[in-house]
Amino acid sequence: MARPPPTPLFVLRGSGAPINTLHFSCQEPSSALLFSGSGKGAIHVWNLHTRRAERVLEGHGGSSIVWVNTIGSKETLISQARDKRLCTWNLSEGRSDVTQSIFTGSVGFCQGSVMEMHPQRWLLAYPAEDMEELVELPSGVPVCSLKPDAKLGMLMCVKLWQPDGGCGPMLLAGYEDGSLALWDVAQRQILSRLTTHPEPLLCLDFDPVGLRGVSGSAERAVSSWVLDGQQNLQLRDTVELVNPGISQLRLRMDRRILASAGWDHRIRLFSWKKLKPLAVLQYHTDTALCVTFSDHKDSRLGLMAAGSKDQRISIWSVYNDS
Amino acid sequence: MEAQRSETEVRLEVNRCIRTISTSRDAVEVVASLRTLAGYLPDGPHARASASEREEFDRAHYTMVLKVLVGGLHADWRQRLTSAEHTELWGAFFLQGPPDQALLVIMDCIGTIGQSSGQDKMVDILELYLQNGRVGALLWSRCQGPGSPDSPQLRETLLGRMVSLPDLMANRLYPHNRPLFLSAQYYSLLAQEFKFALDKTCKALKDGQDCSLRFVAQLLGKTCVQGHSEHLFKDLVPHLSASTRSDMVWQRVCWRLMEDIPDRWMESVVTGLVQVVTGPAALARILGNLVVKNKKSQFVLTHKLLLLQYKYETCVLRTLLGYLAQDRERRPLLIQVLRALCQAWSSSSSVRHTPVEQQLYLSRALLLCVSLLSEAELQELRAELMQCMLGGMQCHLDSNVVRIRRIGMVVGECLSSRLNTQEARLKFEYEQDEETKELVSMMDPFPPEDAVLTDRLDTLQISHCSKDKEMGSPEEPVTLTSHLESQGPPADKGSDSELDSDDELTPYDMSDDREMTKSAPPRYIRDCLEGLIFSEDPTRVELSLQAAEGLVRKNPSAAREVSVELTKVLLHLEDKYSTPSFLALRQAAMVALAVVDSIPVAEYLTTEFYSVNYSLRQRMDILEVLALSAQELSKPIAEQGRPSLPPSAAVTLVDPQSVPSNWRQVVEQRIQSKTRRFGKSGAPAPVTATPNRYASVAGFFFFPLLQSYDRPQVTFDLLGSDHLVLGRLVHTLGLLMHLAVNAPVATQMGRSLLDFVWAIRYHTDQVVRQGVLFSVCAVFLSMPGQCLLAELSDHLLETRAWLAAHFPTDHF
Repeated sequence: MARPPPTPLFVLRGSGAPINTLHFSCQEPSSALLFSGSGKGAIHVWNLHTRRAERVLEGHGGSSIVWVNTIGSKETLISQARDKRLCTWNLSEGRSDVTQSIFTGSVGFCQGSVMEMHPQRWLLAYPAEDMEELVELPSGVPVCSLKPDAKLGMLMCVKLWQPDGGCGPMLLAGYEDGSLALWDVAQRQILSRLTTHPEPLLCLDFDPVGLRGVSGSAERAVSSWVLDGQQNLQLRDTVELVNPGISQLRLRMDRRILASAGWDHRIRLFSWKKLKPLAVLQYHTDTALCVTFSDHKDSRLGLMAAGSKDQRISIWSVYNDS
Repeated sequence: MEAQRSETEVRLEVNRCIRTISTSRDAVEVVASLRTLAGYLPDGPHARASASEREEFDRAHYTMVLKVLVGGLHADWRQRLTSAEHTELWGAFFLQGPPDQALLVIMDCIGTIGQSSGQDKMVDILELYLQNGRVGALLWSRCQGPGSPDSPQLRETLLGRMVSLPDLMANRLYPHNRPLFLSAQYYSLLAQEFKFALDKTCKALKDGQDCSLRFVAQLLGKTCVQGHSEHLFKDLVPHLSASTRSDMVWQRVCWRLMEDIPDRWMESVVTGLVQVVTGPAALARILGNLVVKNKKSQFVLTHKLLLLQYKYETCVLRTLLGYLAQDRERRPLLIQVLRALCQAWSSSSSVRHTPVEQQLYLSRALLLCVSLLSEAELQELRAELMQCMLGGMQCHLDSNVVRIRRIGMVVGECLSSRLNTQEARLKFEYEQDEETKELVSMMDPFPPEDAVLTDRLDTLQISHCSKDKEMGSPEEPVTLTSHLESQGPPADKGSDSELDSDDELTPYDMSDDREMTKSAPPRYIRDCLEGLIFSEDPTRVELSLQAAEGLVRKNPSAAREVSVELTKVLLHLEDKYSTPSFLALRQAAMVALAVVDSIPVAEYLTTEFYSVNYSLRQRMDILEVLALSAQELSKPIAEQGRPSLPPSAAVTLVDPQSVPSNWRQVVEQRIQSKTRRFGKSGAPAPVTATPNRYASVAGFFFFPLLQSYDRPQVTFDLLGSDHLVLGRLVHTLGLLMHLAVNAPVATQMGRSLLDFVWAIRYHTDQVVRQGVLFSVCAVFLSMPGQCLLAELSDHLLETRAWLAAHFPTDHF
């Protein structure tokens, strides 16, 4: 008989709005933080020891937060919201100042993506009106903008990654027509395109080591694809879910577990190797909007957080035994 | 004067020698005579006669000499000859003289003398005769000149002997037959000799010599009509096809050969040829315009092979129709064939009375034909094709057999797409399978390189054959396997290493992961009913439908209150929201109702079956529900209560905790489980008697269905066009009868059922006839034996006669 599915470790309430995005900052276990972006424009900074909101940041004039992330340490925060702006925050020593504000022009739900290029220099990709913009942080110097030649529809999700072997950074982008494109940022061109879903691509995640990724859509299937030696995207297999709709897919840092946040309120866990379903976590009472894993250095302390439209954040500890 | 003299001289000398050989006992004298005779043979060490003398000898004395030689098989002088002398003086006579006479003598001799060393000797000679290519010499001798002058009787005998040599030899020599006389070997040898003779003919024609192919053609015809065309053509046709490709003389020879075949043998030759030849071009080169010139071959090629027979492969059809389409003179025949095919395809009687395989064959031929038409021809025939398509599709779709319906759809689609290049086309929804794909592929144009390719194959085959003879070619299988091996392993690498790490992550229980539904399923049967009647909400209808069966079975008393109403609602329910597995759910709910509250529901359903304004689908549903519920009712009650629970689940509920208290029991059980008893097939399950719930209500299910079948209504004519329902009705009645075995009412049921099926036993639809047969079987199986004779004595004889007359011929 299989074990009954686990229950949340604890639950964070009080954001007062749907939780659109979550981000852990647990490099120092003594002061582990969780950032959450709500549908009403507030960014909550949760202390994972006291399990209370330490601070609430309001900088987007009440419009829904799409994405939050930190760069470098937990002191510098990036937030993206539907007021078409992307802000960087300085949170050091109790400050909460907006240091930079970039006008994106994007009204979509596409989240940005950030990647460390060199020590203390980051590359940020964010959606603009009908293209991707790339900016270097913290300087804010525009790098380039990538606009597809063909009509692929609105940009739905992006993921920046750095391949081994000294090539320039690559960008995976999912589009409204259900196709997935691999951009070479240095050459500003699409290396490969693959139609993975008949519906708009809603989320994707990629494993730069195994060169394998997954994408989700409004339908029942999670598709997995690989990048072969010739930089071609190739469809692998699909996993059928019981209910349609996937809001987010996240791969754990140890590349063993994949989590999906579903429109059916459930968080699903898969083994990354074969996409074998491992668990269906039922706690939320409304659409699960986001799921993320913590960046604990000690993997035994690792956490998973899921945010939902029911205004709650559930924190889980799954498959941390070994 | 000179000729006269030599004739007399030859006669005198030969007569003297013959007399010596047959009477003398002196070996020296006999050998001398033999030497003298051998002088008349065309070549050899003793040849010395002039041409005219030799001719005279061949004409008048050769057979005589051979007969004497055969007669001397056991003579003393033969024992004294050395083997070299023997071959030289005795065997040479058979192998060097005129081959036809020699063959006849040899065969006669083998036919008349019994098993003995003499017979062995003759068989040896025959073997040598065949191996030395004397048959070819025979054929060639008959090809020369303007035509052989010999009597028809002789020719017939010779043909008969040559064609049926394997049979004659097998009869005489069994069980010591020689491999060379087996039919496969003999006919391929014959094919070689054909090639030889035709080759020589071609050469002779090029040299300006006259030739006649009549005998060769007759031999070919006779061989084919005796059913040996396969062996013969297997070797011959590739050669013909290759030779005719570049050589005009060869083509003319082939055409002439085909034209010379007598009409009575034409059919088997043409049929055999069409099956073996590869590609229409090759056929055209071999046959020429035979189909235009010869009525018989025209009938076979354009009518018999297409419309009357249906055993041939698709490639034969392609070859045949391609052949008709290739030439301007033959083109009208293609149109004629198309018209005939159209007529056959669209005739409802042929759809009804021919087997499915023939329908398929016809459809293939029709599509091939249409694909071969040019645009201009298509325009010309458009109206006719349209007529054919519409009429044919109607009678195909009318059929009860799924395969025929599907054929109709595919052909309709293909025809319409060929006819209307721009306008709307027909499009059906049918399941793709091998058959439909094959049919659709008929519309693909003939591969243009086909002809070239097959020709190349022909030449390859020929060169390959000759090579085979030289070296026996052992390398081919070896290379094949090594090729396979090299391709084998790299299919999936590294999957093993992934397996291990995945196992660490044990999955949690995921049984709760079900489909999300927006509203809760109904809890009570009346809610369910309301949901089905009033709801405009797709999910609510779906949930109600899903819950219906469970609710009915869980609370039978509540279900009885609304059973008829709910049945009515379900019967009229439409699949408005395309609910998944709608039909199955609806049927399950209705079956549950009919089981729980049998009499009212059965009464309702049976009356509705004959009332107006139902679709065929609904009437069929009624029949299905009645049959299924009767089936469920007739099962023993012990299985009831948990009908949807799988047996495995039921087992796990009882098993794990029941630890036997007594250790003896445990030991007993173990011994029992490990002991195997021969002659005893496990202990029979204890049979507990349970009342059959169907027995009491069988009449309610059965009799109302028989009440008004012969009263046609506006929308429903059971005995007329709605034979689909009639077939199902008869089957259902048979089933109801079968389930009523041992019920008291079975006798009456059987009687009425026989009365009913009697009226429709010659129905035109085969599904109905099948149903009748099933019903009759059910009656005889289910009625108590003692009643059978008493009640049905008048029926029994008639039924028996009907079965005896009908069964062997009807293709069910």
